[in-house]
Amino acid sequence: MPHDGMMRLVFLVLLSETLAAAGQVLMKRGANMAGAHNLRRIGAHIPFLRDVLSKPSLWLGFCAMTVSLVVWLIALAQGDLSLVFSLGSMQYILILILSRLFLNEEIDMMKVAGTLLVAFGIALMTIS
Amino acid sequence: MSRTALTLKVFALIVLNDVGDTIANLFMKKGLAETGIASVGLGNLAEFVVRNSSSPLLWLGILIYALNFFVWIVILYKVDLSIAMPVGSTSYIFVPIVAAVFLHERVSLLRWVAIFLIILGIHFVSQSKKGATDAA
Repeated sequence: MPHDGMMRLVFLVLLSETLAAAGQVLMKRGANMAGAHNLRRIGAHIPFLRDVLSKPSLWLGFCAMTVSLVVWLIALAQGDLSLVFSLGSMQYILILILSRLFLNEEIDMMKVAGTLLVAFGIALMTIS
Repeated sequence: MSRTALTLKVFALIVLNDVGDTIANLFMKKGLAETGIASVGLGNLAEFVVRNSSSPLLWLGILIYALNFFVWIVILYKVDLSIAMPVGSTSYIFVPIVAAVFLHERVSLLRWVAIFLIILGIHFVSQSKKGATDAA
């Protein structure tokens, strides 16, 4: 693959990842706004989906994910599948930080260590 | 009793979501490869969209992606994003294996090491006691 083709692929994947990270946080925000549902009952899934799909935050996140998917498809069309996949490691660290800042999630050592290992493993795939 | 935020049931849902994601990506890649447009830019973006819109494999991939969206919402409802996200990286374990078997891409030793690190990372995150949105 020529050098500028590679740079373009990296740019497209990073753009897709950033949009996806923002989308995930927004979708989680929407899911958190849903009321109490006992999802162990099969029949509870329809009212749950109706509830959660009425949250604008979820749809905003969905839009960000959709744009991310379009960018992703453009990247997939020109890259080696496993290479394209392996560039996503920064998204994990980004989401760990964003979920602390915007979702007030508690972060303990197990989450930090595990997320770093996952991100490092994915980064290692990039160079392999 | 000491328990983790990630229950076996939620873990199973996350794995299901990742398998769906892997299959969807495989179908989309195969669908895109069949249309024979190697490079996409602003100049041929319209042609790229029109040619690919007739690919059944691509649409099947997109359909699985859409179904996965609902599974993901249920996962997000049950656990923290900071748990669901790293645990949801089992695709990085499946994809190189699937790519090697069906697309005949090579999996290097370094990549196997990476797969091991990801499995270890998922194990660590799964041991976190913080993150069940639901008390269940």
